[in-house]
Parts: sequence; C-alpha cells; structure tokens
Amino acid sequence: MAESQLLIPLHVSYIKSLGDSKDDLAYHMTAHLRMNAIYWGLTALCTMGHKDALDRVEVIDFVLSCWDDEAGGFGAHPDHDAHIHSTLSAIQILLTHDALDKVDIDRVTRFILSLQKPSGVFAGDEFGETDTRFSYCAISALSLLGRLSDLDVEKTVSYIRQCRNFDGGFGNTIGAESHAAQVFVCVAALAILDRLEEVDQQTLCWWLAERQLPNGGLNGRPEKLEDVCYSFWILSSLSIMRKVPWIDADKLTAFILSCQDPESGGIADRPGDAVDVFHTCFGTAGLSLLGYPGLVDLDPVYCMPASVIEAKGLRKDWQALHRRLS
Amino acid sequence: MTSEPDAPLFADRPEWEDVVPLPQYENVDPLAPIFYTDEYKDATNYFRGIVKTGEMSPRVLELTENIIRQNPAHYSAWQYRYKTLMALKAPLDVELRLMDELAVRYLKTYQVWHHRRLLVTETREPGPELEFITKSLQEDMKNYHTWSYRQWLLAYFNDDALWSDELNFADQMLESDIRNNSAWHHRFFVVFQSGVRTGDENREEVVRRELAFVKNYISLAPNNASAWNYLRGILDHSATPYSQLLLFVTPYSVPRSPDADLVDVIDLENPPPSMGAQLPCVAAIEFLADIHENEGGDDIMKATELWRSLADEHDTIRKKSREYRIRDALQKVQV
Ligand SMILES: [Zn+2]
Repeated sequence: MAESQLLIPLHVSYIKSLGDSKDDLAYHMTAHLRMNAIYWGLTALCTMGHKDALDRVEVIDFVLSCWDDEAGGFGAHPDHDAHIHSTLSAIQILLTHDALDKVDIDRVTRFILSLQKPSGVFAGDEFGETDTRFSYCAISALSLLGRLSDLDVEKTVSYIRQCRNFDGGFGNTIGAESHAAQVFVCVAALAILDRLEEVDQQTLCWWLAERQLPNGGLNGRPEKLEDVCYSFWILSSLSIMRKVPWIDADKLTAFILSCQDPESGGIADRPGDAVDVFHTCFGTAGLSLLGYPGLVDLDPVYCMPASVIEAKGLRKDWQALHRRLS
Repeated sequence: MTSEPDAPLFADRPEWEDVVPLPQYENVDPLAPIFYTDEYKDATNYFRGIVKTGEMSPRVLELTENIIRQNPAHYSAWQYRYKTLMALKAPLDVELRLMDELAVRYLKTYQVWHHRRLLVTETREPGPELEFITKSLQEDMKNYHTWSYRQWLLAYFNDDALWSDELNFADQMLESDIRNNSAWHHRFFVVFQSGVRTGDENREEVVRRELAFVKNYISLAPNNASAWNYLRGILDHSATPYSQLLLFVTPYSVPRSPDADLVDVIDLENPPPSMGAQLPCVAAIEFLADIHENEGGDDIMKATELWRSLADEHDTIRKKSREYRIRDALQKVQV
C-alpha cells in the first residue's frame, strides 16, 4: 500500500541514524561523497523544518576538518584532496548554519577560479575532469561567497551555450546528449548569472514536461526509467522558467510518496528500492516545490532554504507552486 | 567490491615493509563514521603512506589498482595512479588494456572514463578507442559516460579517418534499438553539430537525406519521441518551415482510416504509418498544432482544438501545458 503522507518524523530519524549503521559496508565506498551527504541530509532536514536534528557544532567541525590547506578548498572527507563539489557543499552547509565567517573566502575563490579551463568550463579538481556540473558548482559557490565579480562571465556562459542541444536541453560537455540533471546545472547557472536569454525556454520546457511518465514519475532522458531525483532537477528548472504547473503535481507527489520506506524512513529512487540520503534530499526538495503542506520553502536555484538565500539578497525570479494548507 | 580473495594484506607482505602505513584521520563525522573492511583499510593505509613520501614506483601501480578494484570511486587513487604512470613512463597501451576490463566492470564510474581520456590524450591513438566504445556500448546501450566519451574523442582528434564510419555506426545503433535517444542524439551530433563530414558538403542534400531517414523511422514506430525530436531538430537547424511536413504528418494525427489499406500508390516522400501502429500519435497532433499556430489567423483555432484534444483525451498528464499553450495563443490573437 503506497503512503499518502510524507512521513516526516521517520525521515528525520533516518537521517539522524545514518551515523549509526556501523555494519554497513557501503560506507567505505562513499567516503568521497561524505561532505555532499551531510549537505543532502541537512537540506532535507531544513525542508522538513528540522534543521536542528543534527548538532550544529558537530556539523561545522566536520566541515572545517575537511579543509585542504594545500589547495585552499574543501575535500569530501578529512584526508581527501579538495574538490569543487565538496567545496560547494561545505559553503552551503556553513551558510545554512550562518558560519561562513569561518572560511578564508579569498583562498577559496582563488581555488575555484584556478579550476576554470581556457574553454570556460570548470574542472572538478586538479585531476582535470570537466563537466557543466562543475561550472554550476563554481558559479553557485562564488555567488554564495559574494565573489561572482571575480568570474569571467562571458567565457563561462560561452561554454554552457555550446552544450545546448537541438532539443533545447543541455549535456555535460560540448556535443553530449541532453540530460535533465545537466539541464538543471546549466539553467540554474545561467539564472545566477542573469543570462536566461541563452535558454530556448519554449523548447526546453516542453522537453522537460515530456519527462513525466504515466505513473507520475519523471525520467532524465527519453525512454529511460523514472527516478525521484529527477523531480528536483526538472521542477527546479521549471521553477526558474516559471512553468512548474506543466507537471501533473498530484501524480508526481503520489509517485514521490510511494518511494518512501514506511518502516525505517528515507526515500528511494523508485518504489521498493533501497533508500539513501541523496534521494531523501531531492524527494523532499521536489515536494517542497510542489507546494506540499507543512514543508519549508526551498530555493530551486541554489537548492538551499529560501530564507537563507533571501537574507543574502540572492533570490532570483523563480516560482514554485503555492504551499497548500492541507 | 573485493580484490582477489587470496591476496595477502599489504601489512603482511615483506616487499611493503619499508612503507609506514598511515591510518585514516579520525574525526567527528555526524552523518557517517567510516567503517572499512580489513582489506580496504589495509590498502588505503599504505596508500596514504606512499602519498606522504611521494613514492612513484611500479608497486604503487599494484597498490592503486587494488584500491580501485575495491572502490572505483576513490578519486585520489586514480589521480595518484596517473601521476605515477607518467613519472615511470609506463607503457600506456598496457594500461589501456587493463582499463578495457575496468571500464566494462565499472561502467557508471566517472573516474574510469576520465582516466581513459587522459591516457588517450597522451598516446594520441584514438582509432582503437572507437572499437572499444562500440564493444562497451553492447553492455549498456544508453550509458551516458560512454557516449559522451565517444563524442569527445571524435571532436578532440577530429580527423577524417576517425569520422569516416560514424554515420554507419549511428545507423547500426538505431537498428538495434529504434528508441535509443543517445543514438538519435549522436546522429544529430555527427551530421549537424560538429562540422561538415567529407561527402556531406551539399547541405541541402544532407537535409533531404535526413528528412527521408527520420520519416522512415517515424513510419516504422510513430510513437517514438526521439524521432520526432530529431525531425524538429533538422527543421529548426535548416530553418525549414514545419508546414512543409503537413502532408507527411496529417495521417499520423488522426485515427486510422478504415480504407487506409486500399491506397495502392505509396508516396515515397511521405511514408504512411506502419500497420498496427497506435494512432493518433500525440507527437503528430502536437506537430500539426505547431504548424497551425505558425500560420496564425483562423488557423489558431485549429491549433487550440488540437491542444484541447491532447489535454482532454490523448495526453491528459500534460493537460496544464496544453491549456497554457491555448491561453497563450488566444492572447496573441486578441492583441
Ligand atoms: Zn536518482
């Protein structure tokens, strides 16, 4: 029997318990995502109105322990090299907890800018893998740090523009297929840079609406399976282009709710699959944008609590569905 | 997830005696304390040890391979492995053959593909890579990393020999799965998005060829979103008015006519929907509505009727988007 309610207390205790399952062998595989996992957990908790369920001081101490002093950025884990994705997560966590003053903003800015390639795209780390995901990480992080003025905007936009495809979507590199997650990073990056005119909005919104399948879930590319995380990639992109109503909200809400684990909490990619903190974050984020009652507003551009972004004066002209009362 | 079952721990191997293993830096971790298998803990302790001393030797290759096989997402191990290969001037063809195995095993790991990219940038021999990619796509015909690696390879080395068989390759991929969006995208990339291929200099002829190609595929399976997207892509790219497709699209936008089989003169330019295809086809109705909207004037009402039929009957899940189109079009008329 599919759940008809969001099981908030259960999800909160699921996120809190993530640190306890010491017999879970999967943990050692995900050390490279630890910083991101904390960001996902914290963001999900904020969306559900339980920001304080994780101890603020412990979280901040963990983030600071991941500082890579040689590179000037944050790694995913205390002894890992700095990476642009974990650096963004660290900044998001600290800002959510109003602790950005603990960061050497000049050094982080230099680290981020050092990863930009002549083509305008960003690499994830000194190893050099490039991807529009990393462009988003750089743009979002610089914006949150108040250092966007240090970025060569033309060069950055030019690369993203070249990733635009005939179907209106965006790929991870020039020439690559459109993919909903890459659409989010490119559209949100352009929104932060106030360059949404680079998007063929009519074609793209139509392509995004086409991602909804008869069971209500959304997929990331034509003829692929639905997955809870696409709720966020697609709803956030549509929010930025003010077209969330193009998705059948009731059906998508029911789909996300059906992916909950009603016994131990957490949300999975699809009904019956194992839950994880990533899909718990993006499932609740999707529900927030759909106006699900009782949730806190989430900023779709930065994927952070809307109140935090508003307080920084960074809110863009997005529109989610009105929050329902019941 | 595990290395060879009988391999001894590095701590038990005499040839590693001189390395000081460095245990994981322990710290508060509110969401997830690390719990490791003994094999993983052992290997990564020795890894931290050699990183600390900066050692780059053949045994580092053994150690990093061991870690990667346990956890292909360990990006520091990949990074250090690459640096070591360069420092040792190790034979990269040997490394690529090892990667052939690992890529298929860890198809969804970013690092596997990026490492390959770095190696091929050094060897500058992209030829054999195409064959490898073709083989690896057999494991997962829609793998995003694999396709994106192929597109990078073609664009980066960009020589005629490399491109020469690419259209043929895209054809074969579509033949094995007519709905594979990655293959449709690739075809567009090859034909329109990455320069002009030898033999394709006459662009009008290319557009005609591609239109015939996609119409044929639509007729075989009309309810195939990727093919309709491709059709729109060609028209937009060549600035061809959608209305030129009116004759082709119309039979797809209506229920099958009872006497359709009686037509004995087949219009080769406009292949009809195949027998048994489910009609009307949503994408065709949508396409026809776009033609009418572009015509403007009285045709706007025809467009709104088509959108209405999609909203209420043929594609109800996207009702809101069609109602938006109706309001939007009517507003434009009134202005
Ligand atoms: Zn997912």
